[in-house]
Amino acid sequence: MKRKGKKFNKRPQNPLNKLSLFQKSDSRFSKKCPLSIKDAPVVDYKNIKLLKKYISDTDKLLPSRITSVSQGKQKKLANEIKKAKILGLL
Amino acid sequence: MNFYEHTLVAKQDLSTTELDKIHDKYSDIINKSAGEVIKIEKWGLINFAKKIKSYNKGFYIHYKFKGNSKTLGEIKKNISIDGSILRYLTIKYKKLDLEKEYFNKENKIDEKKR
Repeated sequence: MKRKGKKFNKRPQNPLNKLSLFQKSDSRFSKKCPLSIKDAPVVDYKNIKLLKKYISDTDKLLPSRITSVSQGKQKKLANEIKKAKILGLL
Repeated sequence: MNFYEHTLVAKQDLSTTELDKIHDKYSDIINKSAGEVIKIEKWGLINFAKKIKSYNKGFYIHYKFKGNSKTLGEIKKNISIDGSILRYLTIKYKKLDLEKEYFNKENKIDEKKR
């Protein structure tokens, strides 16, 4: 018996998965911090669009090994997210 | 003198006249107690991420002002008595940026289109 035209089907990856937004599919991703480049967006508790990018589905901060945010900015992100949560914005 | 940002979250079921009263009341308090209001922003009705005291939405008012510890104490006193305010937050800044408005109405329209 020969199998004709049957290929092994890969499991379809969920495109909405938050981790896949930052990580390229080829396992290597840029090491530069996206928040400390020139003209980078300001990390602030009013800038909710930015903060939502760095939050998981369960409202926790994503680890910096995935988002490649620098140490100082990661601390700032954590503080600003807490402020936004007090006001009920996140 | 330091720079501060102060945001209030008022209850959802207030009328516009009551909101204006709150708006004027706290700007008066700041001006009277050794402070100076620089800018006031009205963010309008915003949905909460989670329920706060069984409310789903709230009116946001944002103040930017100069002041010292006296003004902060005076604001705290008045808020603790005030029943129509759900949450508040004051933050100290070395510099205030007066140009960016994250909760402008033009931005809201863009979100609806998506």
